[in-house]
Parts: sequence; C-alpha cells; structure tokens
Amino acid sequence: MPVTIDQLLERVEKPSRYTGGEMNAVVKPISEAEVSFAFCFPDIYEVAMSNLAIKILYGILNDLPYAVCERCCMPWVDMRKELMDHQIPLFSLESRTPLKDFDIVGFTLQYEMSYTNILDMLHLGGIPIQSAQRSEADPIVCVGGPCAFNLEPLHAFVDAVMIGDGEEQIVEFTNAVRNGRKQGLSRMEILRSLTKIEGVYIPCLYEDAYNEDGTLKSLTPVDETVPAVINKRIQVNMDEAYCPTHPPVPYTQVVFDRIMLEIMRGCTRGCRFCQAGMLYRPVRERSVDKLCEMACESVSNTGYEEISLSSLSSSDYSHITELATRLTSDLKDKRVSLSLPSLRVDKFVQDTLTQTQQVKKSSLTFAPEAGTQRLRDVINKGVTEENLMETLGNAFSNGWSAVKLYFMTGLPTETDEDLAGIADLAQKSAGAYYAVPKGQRVKGLRITCSASVFVPKPFTPFQWCAQDRPEEVQRKQQMVRELFRPLKSARFNYHDSAISRIEACFAVGDRRLSKVLYRAWELGCVLDGWNEYFRYDLWLQAFADCGLNVDFYAHRVRSKDEVLPWDHINAYIDKSFLWREYEKAMRAETTRDCREGCNGCGLQKVKGVCSVCG
Amino acid sequence: MMAVFEKGETLRYIGHLDLMRTVQRALRRSNLPVKYSNGFNPHIRLSFAAPLSVGVVGRRELMEVPVEEGVTEKQFVEAFNRVSPECLQIVMARSISDEFPTLMSLVAGSRYTIRLMASPEADMAAEAFDRFMALDHYVATRRTKSGENPCDIRPFIKEGNIAKTADGYEIKLETVTFANGALKPSLWFECLCTFAGCDKPHHIIYRDAILAQPENGPLMPMEEYPHA
Repeated sequence: MPVTIDQLLERVEKPSRYTGGEMNAVVKPISEAEVSFAFCFPDIYEVAMSNLAIKILYGILNDLPYAVCERCCMPWVDMRKELMDHQIPLFSLESRTPLKDFDIVGFTLQYEMSYTNILDMLHLGGIPIQSAQRSEADPIVCVGGPCAFNLEPLHAFVDAVMIGDGEEQIVEFTNAVRNGRKQGLSRMEILRSLTKIEGVYIPCLYEDAYNEDGTLKSLTPVDETVPAVINKRIQVNMDEAYCPTHPPVPYTQVVFDRIMLEIMRGCTRGCRFCQAGMLYRPVRERSVDKLCEMACESVSNTGYEEISLSSLSSSDYSHITELATRLTSDLKDKRVSLSLPSLRVDKFVQDTLTQTQQVKKSSLTFAPEAGTQRLRDVINKGVTEENLMETLGNAFSNGWSAVKLYFMTGLPTETDEDLAGIADLAQKSAGAYYAVPKGQRVKGLRITCSASVFVPKPFTPFQWCAQDRPEEVQRKQQMVRELFRPLKSARFNYHDSAISRIEACFAVGDRRLSKVLYRAWELGCVLDGWNEYFRYDLWLQAFADCGLNVDFYAHRVRSKDEVLPWDHINAYIDKSFLWREYEKAMRAETTRDCREGCNGCGLQKVKGVCSVCG
Repeated sequence: MMAVFEKGETLRYIGHLDLMRTVQRALRRSNLPVKYSNGFNPHIRLSFAAPLSVGVVGRRELMEVPVEEGVTEKQFVEAFNRVSPECLQIVMARSISDEFPTLMSLVAGSRYTIRLMASPEADMAAEAFDRFMALDHYVATRRTKSGENPCDIRPFIKEGNIAKTADGYEIKLETVTFANGALKPSLWFECLCTFAGCDKPHHIIYRDAILAQPENGPLMPMEEYPHA
C-alpha cells in the first residue's frame, strides 16, 4: 500500500511545517482556477513565513478571481528524505498539489546560498531542473526578488524573471500566462509574449559570449524582437500599493513572528556595500494615516501581539515620532506592543512609550559596519562614533544593558588598524555603560559584536571589488578575536569564510555558474545556508569538475569597462554613478544622504519617481 | 468562561505552548472583552485543563478564559469561531463563577480512542489486546526531562476494549490520573505493540473527553462537573 502524506508527517520532526491550514491561509478550489501559481520559498517554513514578499504577493494573487496561489517551502532534511524514499512529489501547503501540476512555479530569491534548494525543490516537485528540458505540460518557472537582479548563475533553470517591485507585474505576468494557456500558445510563444511586460526578462532569449581572459564579452538578445535592456518595475505610490493586512498566521513560532509594517521602501543613505540600498531606490514612504489604518486592520485580522516597523532604515522615516505616538495609543487597548528602530530610542519616544506601555528591553542593535571613521567613510556609512556613543548612553540610562553591534570584515581598503577599531568600539561601548551612574543602569552588560565577511554585490559601487581570500579572512578574524580576549562582557562572533566565498561567486557570477550549481546539487549540496549542511569540499569539487575557478569570480578586481553579467538589467542606477562612488570610496570621501540634495544616481532622469530629487 | 473545543487533525502536531499562543491570537481577533495579566508583557489570561500530547487529536478539550461580565455563552462561541480556523472551533461554552475550581485541579482521567488502520501489524496488536489488558503490571520506561524512569502503566488504565471496524480496529481506553502524573496514550500503545511483538501499525489517537470526579460521584466529562 502506498504511503500517504499523513503517514510521512508522523515520522518528521516538525510536521506543522507542512500542514498549512493557518488562519488567513487561502484555500480556493484549485481545479476551478484558470491559472494556478505555486509561490515557493527556497528555505524552510520558519524562514519563508517571516518574509514580507510572500505575504504581499500571496494576497495579491489570491484576490484575483481567476487565479489561485498556494505556498510551498523547502522541506527540512528529514521530510526531504521521506519524500524521496517514498517518491511523493513535493506539494503545496494549501491543497497538497504537487508542484508539477501548477501553471506557474515562482521562487523568491533572497539569498545566493539558497540556490541549490531551488534545484532541489523543482526536482522534488517533479519538474525538470533544466529549463530547456521542460515540456509543454510543465509549469513556467519564474523568479523575483533582490538576487534576480543578477540572475545569470540560475539562467539554465529559470524560464522567466521579474525585475523590481512585484505588485503590478506579477498580476500582468499571471494574467499573460492564463491568456496564453487559454489560446493554446506553446511554451515558447508564452515566454515571448511575456517579454512585452515591463520588468520581465526571459533568459533563454539571450546569448552569452566570452573574451579570451574568461571575462564576459556580451550578453545579447537572440533577435530584434527581444528587448536589449530590461527595466526594473517601480511601485511609485506606496499608499496605493497592496497592504498585506491578512497574512497567514503560523501556528508555530517562526523567525519574525509578528506584524511587519512596511513603512517605506528604499533608502537614501547610499552605503556603498549595500545592494538593497541601491536596488530599492527611490525612497517611498507610506503616510502615517495609511500606516495606522494598516496596523489596526492587521491586528484585527491576525491577532498578533507585536508590531515591528519594516524598512531598510526605519529611523529615517520622516514622521517616525508621530507614527510611534499614534500607533502606541491606537494599540493600547489590545495590549499590542510596538518595537521601534534602535537608532531612535531618544528621549521623546521613550517618554511616549513609558506613558502607555512597557517597552521590551530586549537587546539593541546597531550596525557601524566598520571599526574606524576612515573605513566608515569609505563605505559611506553615515554613523559617527559620537552618534553611537550618545545613543548607547541614552539606551543604557533607560534600562538597556545588552547591545549588538554588526560589522563587516574584508571591506575594500581595510587595514589591521580598522580591524583593531572593532575591539576599540566594543571597549568604548562598555565605557558608555559605566559612565551611567550605578543606580541608574541595569546590571548585566552584554556587548555582542558580529562580523560578516564582505561580499561584493551587483549594482553597488563595490561590484568591481574582490573579496579577501579565505586565508586573509581567517587571519583577520583571529586577530580581532585575540583583541577581544581581554574585554570582559564583550563577545566577538564571525561568519564562515567558506560560505561567504561561494556566496560571492554566485552574487557576481555569470551564466557558466549554472553548470557549477547543477554539479554541486548533483554531488549532494542542499540547504547550504544552514552551516551544518554546507559542504565546502563538494562546492570546490563542483567548480573543479566544471573547469571553473573560484578565484576568478570571488577574488578578482574587475576593470571599469568590463562587461558585467547584469549590464542588460536597468535598475535606474547609472554605472557611471556607481563608478564615481567607487572612486570616492577609494579616496575615503563620503557622499551626502540624498535627502540633503540629489547625488545624480540616475533616477533623476525618470520623471516623477523620486520624491527626493523630484 | 469554560469552553469545550476541538483540536482537529491539522492541529494535532502543534504543541501546548503554540496552541496557547494560537488561542490567544484568536481571542484578540474576536474582540471579546478578555482579561489581561499584569506585568511587563501583558498577555491574555487563559488556561487549559490538561495539555494534549503532540500528535493526538482533541475532540472535547477544555479551556478557561476569564471575560468581563455580560458576555453570554452564545456570544462567546460565535465570536471565537468566526475568527478561528476550522481545525480549532469551540463546541460549547459554559459560564462559570469565580469560585469554580481551576480546571487543572479537577482532572481525574481521560477517555481515548485509538484508530488502527487495517494491516498485519494491526491484527497482531488486536490479537494481543485481551492478554495485555489481563496483566496486573506492565513496567514501561517513561522518558522525562530527568531521564528515563521505569513506571508501571497498568494502574493508569481503568477500562479498555477493542472492536473491529470497516477499516481496521478501534480501541477505547479510559485512563485515570494520579498525583504523580498521567499516562500518555502513545506510550500505552507502544507497550501494547511491544507486548504483541509487532511494529506500530498506522494509527491515530483521539482524546474524547477529559474527566473529572465529584466527591463520591462517578467519573464524568469535566464540562458536566456540577457546581453551584
């Protein structure tokens, strides 16, 4: 007798990852839908359900009368094995439909180290992994999200890409597939019809060529009907954008188990390592009225006990104090707590909060990113030591005693002096704590400094930069670790240099990496984002088997006129602007926040989109 | 307010704390005038009669939710069910006074149904059932936080019987609770299979009722417990 899904569930550690049925989960009869969309997240349920994109797009698609959207997540090791052992195809949470039976299978790309999971989910779901091997009956596999801006390492597995904000284009896309299917168009005809949608990129309609030195020569359309450049989509008015106020509410605790109120999209700071800060330009705020309305609706629909403000830099929201004040008073009766961005724990907000509710004294988080002012200028991180110490002093006298500081090692131009600055900053933070009189501070100071490894990302001024070699990364990490040894109450954590190295390859890699990815998956690489499953040896073998060099991708400085694998994507950020920023970085010159004046990133050329430059 | 609710099949893998949070969120959605705890992190006051083991379906589970005066039983049931998923619905509610004992203090036993899907293992387990019930003692190993403890499970079983059904077998079990704890039906079932010398057949466990026992009275479903 064949084993049923229910029987598999009894054998796995957390069956609730696969059972769905949450409050606000949408169950529409899938057989009656004109078009079905499987929204796939290439990581496990707890991570997937913490993602804002899935809440927005799931809601938008299910509001369409003709469409059904169901969710599917990467199964954990135990469930994955059960599915393979019993040859049960990976299924959606809502109706347990195998992935292969959907019209569209869409993945959101948030992190390069989840790429093998995409291959694995396609395979488990009964869909040919290689785009070229899919038949007329197979779903159209599409992707979106920040990593889609350099899709090339995945090009062999993906039929269609959506670049930029998804709210409008996912509807146009889904509708086009629906119409194409209705008219009996072939798979290729449908894909070609999708190129007419602004923001949609069809990888198989482009060809790559290389120079003798291995660098990309060109990536060009196969014929003149295919657009040479794909423009990203921008949701111009956030007050008119879809509000995800009734997302599914998980039964078990997920990573972000609360209402995430997206107060704005984009960021004006212009940190030079930050991909999101460039890709999500321009900054677009929601109004306070709209946000209060969204918050109340969300609480009534979900019953969550906590709201956090979501954006790239919430403390920069123009009306943050007004928003905090109004939200706290609106939510008082239902005892819903509000978590505020760390940087604005100033006196005024403090007073407002203590009047109405108790602020959770969980740990505070800051990201100075670099240990010295010089290096912070290089990366254009507009935080000074003075800022930080003032904020910390405020926080320590207001009852906080734990603080987390985030850094990066291996930033361009970094010296040992900059690294020593990390320990120095930890020590000064402790100083700020002891400067508060004994009776006024809370006991148990904890300073946790975490350092990730710099990874060059497309569409940033550092896209031309090389990552430090693993030996150098390790030397630096050990050096900082030694400097932390004498510091009581301060801890230093750091990322695995090997994972960051592979991440760098896939962040800035080209089409040839599709082969490496496939080979790595074949060798057994999966769930690479989970340290315990990351197999560096297998990744190196995959590169070697494909005759490609990790150094070429991760540790090479690119020249100004090198053709980059993402040059055909228009994120409305001029390459010349990025180069200008790169040169300024090398001179440790800062660039002002765009709110203080337009820096000419390229968006000023698009009329009526950027509210800052007009 | 005392409420009898169903913890359906979809929810059977949800642990006690997750269920607690799920009910609190449903109560917040319902807009019912619930009461909050004091302290730094106010939460909705709520208590369950007896936690249900993960994997077991609850047919008549019990919770107590203090509400402001004036809320009728009907209002409570309707307001909750409107905002709660299908697998977590209230069957009935009963207004109880502040003097009513805490539900947890009343627990005296439970009734379970174990459904076995037809298979050779199920036949073996069924065949051994009467002999297993006839034993005076059966020492099982209980895994607890403090390690593995040997424990005689037989005294926990008050009654039990088995019947053949269209798709397998159905075992009915009535257990009693002692000061040192209750018996997990899954442990009992494991012991039956070990005794029968078979692998565990595919099965589902249901808790049909949580029992209370008034002074000098019989065991009865707790929702019927008399109180002035």
